[in-house]
Amino acid sequence: MRRPFSYKLNIFLFLLPALILFVGVLIAPIILSGYYSLTEWNGLLTPKFIGLANYQELFTSKSINIMRALKNAMLLAFFSTCIQLPFALWLALKLSRKPLGDRFYLSVYFMPVLISTVVIGQLWIKIYNPDYGVLNLFLKSLGLDSWTHVWLGDKTTALWAAFVPILWQYVGYHMLLMYAGIKGVPPELNEAAMIDGCTEGQVNRYIIIPYIKPILRVSVIFAVTGSLKSFDLIYVLTNGGPNHATEVPSTLMINLLFLRNRYGMGSTIAVMLIVLCFVFAIIINMIFKEDKGR
Amino acid sequence: MNTATLDKKYPPVRSNKKPKKTAGQIASYVVLVIWAFISLFPVYWMLTFSLKNNAEIFGENVIGLPKYWVWENYTRAMNTGNMPQYFLNSVIVAVSTILITLVASIMATYAMTRLDWKLSKTTHKFFMLGLTIPIHASIVPLYTTLARVHMLNSYWALIIPYSAFSLAMGILISVGFMGDIPYDLDEACFIDGCGVWGTFIRIIAPLMMPAVATVGIYTFLQCWNELMFANVFISKDSLKTLPVGVQALSGQYTTDWGPIGAALSIATIPTLLVYVFLSKQIQDSFIAGAVKG
Amino acid sequence: MKKLLAILLTALFVLTAVSALAEEQITLQLWSIATESDSSHQAYVDAIAAFEADHPNIKIEHTPTENEAYKTKIKAAMSSGEELPDIFFTWGMGFLKDFVDAGRVVCLDDYYGAYAEELPQAMATNVTYDGKMFGVPYTMSLVTLYANMDILAEVGYDHIPATYEEMMDCCDKLVAAGKIPFGVSGKELWCLSEYVEPLVIKSVGGETLKAMYNGEESWNNEGVIAAIAAFQEMKAKGYFDPSADGLGNDEVKNNFIAGNYAFYQNGSWNNADIGSKAEFAVQAGTFPVLNPDVTLYQMIGGPNNTLAVTESCEHKEEAIEAAFYLAKFFSDADYKSGANLPCWAADPNAEVSDLVKSAADMASKADSMVLFGDNFLSADAANTYLDYIGQAWAGDITPEEYAEGLDADLH
Repeated sequence: MRRPFSYKLNIFLFLLPALILFVGVLIAPIILSGYYSLTEWNGLLTPKFIGLANYQELFTSKSINIMRALKNAMLLAFFSTCIQLPFALWLALKLSRKPLGDRFYLSVYFMPVLISTVVIGQLWIKIYNPDYGVLNLFLKSLGLDSWTHVWLGDKTTALWAAFVPILWQYVGYHMLLMYAGIKGVPPELNEAAMIDGCTEGQVNRYIIIPYIKPILRVSVIFAVTGSLKSFDLIYVLTNGGPNHATEVPSTLMINLLFLRNRYGMGSTIAVMLIVLCFVFAIIINMIFKEDKGR
Repeated sequence: MNTATLDKKYPPVRSNKKPKKTAGQIASYVVLVIWAFISLFPVYWMLTFSLKNNAEIFGENVIGLPKYWVWENYTRAMNTGNMPQYFLNSVIVAVSTILITLVASIMATYAMTRLDWKLSKTTHKFFMLGLTIPIHASIVPLYTTLARVHMLNSYWALIIPYSAFSLAMGILISVGFMGDIPYDLDEACFIDGCGVWGTFIRIIAPLMMPAVATVGIYTFLQCWNELMFANVFISKDSLKTLPVGVQALSGQYTTDWGPIGAALSIATIPTLLVYVFLSKQIQDSFIAGAVKG
Repeated sequence: MKKLLAILLTALFVLTAVSALAEEQITLQLWSIATESDSSHQAYVDAIAAFEADHPNIKIEHTPTENEAYKTKIKAAMSSGEELPDIFFTWGMGFLKDFVDAGRVVCLDDYYGAYAEELPQAMATNVTYDGKMFGVPYTMSLVTLYANMDILAEVGYDHIPATYEEMMDCCDKLVAAGKIPFGVSGKELWCLSEYVEPLVIKSVGGETLKAMYNGEESWNNEGVIAAIAAFQEMKAKGYFDPSADGLGNDEVKNNFIAGNYAFYQNGSWNNADIGSKAEFAVQAGTFPVLNPDVTLYQMIGGPNNTLAVTESCEHKEEAIEAAFYLAKFFSDADYKSGANLPCWAADPNAEVSDLVKSAADMASKADSMVLFGDNFLSADAANTYLDYIGQAWAGDITPEEYAEGLDADLH
C-alpha cells in the first residue's frame, strides 16, 4: 500500500506530544547535565569548562566520598532484592491461594504505598525518637534497655534504621505486581501439577515462579534502580547524616547543588546516576535472559 | 481485560478438598497477621497521637487510644500550615499530570503500534529508556530553564516534568491495553473512510478507557510523593504540594507532636478514605498494569 | 468592528494613563526567616506596619521561610536571577559574598552616610567586601553559655565556672550526680560548632582564628588540636546529652528550658525564649579559656542578621530606604524583646531582661569578635568545615587529623 505524505505527517503528529515531553524534559536536560558536569559552576557566575576534573575529583575526594554513597545505595539494592522481594513474593504466593481474609491482607499490605513518603518518614522519625519513640519504649517495656539506641543518630544503626521504612513501604508494591503475575498462571498447569501430587512448594518452585519470571525481572529492575536513585525517605529521615553515614548519591547531589553551590559537581553525580541505572538495567536483563536459555 | 474477567476464566488455585491445617500453614498465617499489624501500626499510631496532648504522647499513654480527645491539634495544624491548600495543590498537579500522561502516551502508543512505519520499534525502545532514567538527574537544567521562562513557582513547573517522567510507564501500559483491541475494528473503520484521526478518536480512544485507571494509578504513585522537584521548583507557600508542606510544618513543630500528628493525618486521611472505598478497583487497575506491562 | 476596536484601544490608553498617575503605589517583596515560631517574627510584623504607616504609597509583602529551607530558596532564586525579592534577609560574610560576586546585590555606599551616626561603621564589617557595603546589619549574636543555676547549686556552684579546671570539676560533679551537663544537637552540625568554636577561640585567640578563616594562618596548630582534644574529652566523659544525635536544636533548647541540662551553649538569639520560659534561675556567660594566654572575652559571633537589596529590584530608592528603616526597627525591637543584641545605637533607657544585659555586657567587653565559621566561610568551605566538626564529634578523626584535614581542604 502506498503511504501518502499525510500519513507520515499524522504519525509524527501522534508522536508529537510525547516526543516534546520526552525530549524536552528528559533527553535535552540530560545532555545539558552532561555539559555542566564538565564545568566549574557555582550557579551564579557563568560555567567554566574544566574537562573531566569533576569526575576525577568525584572519585578521589575524601570530603565528597562518593564511594560511601554508592556503597549505601548498593546495600539498599541488595536488601531490596534479597529480603524485600523474596518476602513480597512469599506474601503474593500465600495470598494467591486465597487464605481467609485475603482481600483484607492485600489491601493492608498495599496501603503504605499510597501514603506520602514524607508522612511515612516523619512517622518513622517519631517511632525512632530516642526518648519518646515507640521502638525504644517497646524495648524498655521488655526490659531490654541495653538494646535501645539513638536509631537515626547513631552512625552504627542509622543506615539500617533508614532502610527499614524504605523496604517496609514498598513490600506491598512488589507483592501486588507479583500477585498479578501469579493470577495470570493458567490454572491447567497448576491442576496438572496438583494431580501429579506436587506439594504447594513444588508448584511454586517449578510452575509459578518460572512462569512469572518477566514480572520478577521488572520487580528486580525497579528495586535496584529505585535503590540507586532513592531520595525521599533518606532525605526526610536523616538527610544523609549522621556524619554522612546514610548518604546516597541523590542526597549527596542535592547537598552539593544547594548547600555547597557546586552545580558542576552536582551534575557530575547526576550523570553518574544515569549511567549506573542503565548499566544495572542491562545487567539484570542479561541475567534473566541467560536463565531463560538454560 | 481486567482481573474481574480473569477471575471468571480462571478460578482461584484452591483445591476442593478441605485442606488440613498443618503447622506450616498456621505459621504462615501468623506471619500474614503480623505483617498486617506492622503495616497498619504506624498509621494507627499516627491517628491516635494526633489526638493526644504531650503528656500522653510522651509517656502516660503512648500506644493506647487518647484519653482526652485534643481536637485542638487539628485546628492548630490547619491554622499554621495551609494543609487544605497543599492538598488541593497536590491534587491539581496529580490530576493534570495524569491527564497529560494519558493523552500523550495513548497517542504515541497508537502511532507506534497501529500505524505502520519503519522506526516504530526503535521509537518504542527509545521511550522505554525513560523507565530507568532517574528523575533527579535533570534537576539543574530543568531548574535553570524553568527560571529562564519564568515558570518556577507555577503548577506547570511540576506538571511538565512529572508528565515527562510518567510517560514511559504510561506507554508501557498503553501498549499492553491497545494490543487487546482487535485490529479488525480499526481496519473496518479505516475502510469506512475514517482516516487515522477518525479511527483513533472513534475506535481506539473509547476502547482505551480501561487503561485510564491503570495509567492513572501508576502516574499517581510517581507524582504524589515526589519531594525533590517540589521542594526546589516551588517556593511560594500557596503553591506548595503536600510533601513539601508537611515537611515544612514538621520542621516548625519538632517538639509538639500533637499538631504534627494532626498534619500528617490530614495529609493521609483523604487518600486512605479513597483507598478504603475503592481498594478493589485500585488494586485491579494496578494488577492490570502489571499484566499488560 | 473597527469602531469597537478603537473604543477598546482608547479605553486601554485611558486606563494605563490613570494607572500611571496612581502608580505611586509600590509593593516591595521581602524575604526572611522570621516564621511564626521565630523570635523576631513580631518585630517583622510591627516594623512592616510602622513602615507602611509612614509610607502610605509603599506596601511590603513579607514571605518568611524556615531557616534551612530559606538557604536553598534564596540561593536558588539568586542563581536564576528570577523571582527575586526586592529586600532579603541574609547572613554576613561568606553567605552574602557569593551573591555580591554575582552582581545581584545593590551597593549601599551612597546611602549609608545618612545613617552613619546611628549605625556604627564597625557593625558593617561583615557585610563589607572590598571596602564596599552591601547590606544593612540589624542585630548581632554572640555564642552564649546559658546556665541552669538551680542545677549548679545542687553540686555546690553559685556561679558559672570561671576557669577551665573549675568547669571540668563542675561537670564531673554533675555527671556524678546523674545530671547532664551540656545539651547539644548532634544532628544539626551548626549546633556542634557552637561548642567547638568557643573552645577554639579560647585556645588560639580571635585574631588568629580570623586569620585561619581567611586562609592567612594554618589550621594545623597546637591551639586547634588542644581545643578539639578538649571537645572530644568532654564527650568521652559523658558531658553531653547521650541522646544528642537524635535531637534537633529545638528539642535540645526545650530540654534545657524544661530543666534537663545544666548548660546550653548557643546563640544569644535564645535570650528571649529562655528568659521568658525557663522556670529556674538562669544566667548567661561565656565558656572559660583553655589557654591562659588568651583573654576571657574572645567572643564567637558578631553583627550578622542583615537586610540587603537586590540589583534586579524595580524601585531601588524605596527598597533601600525600607531596608534601613526596617533594620533600625528590628535592631531596636529585638533588643527590647531580648531576641538579640542591637547593631544600631540602642535606646539607653530601654528596660531589658537580665539575660540581655549580660549579653550586652559581654559584647561591650569583647576583646575580639569572630563570626560563626559557617557564616564566615563560603558555602562550599563552610560545609566542609562543618563536616569536620561532625567527624570530630563522632570520634571518627583525631584532633591532629582535624587540624591537618582543615588545613588541606579549606584552601
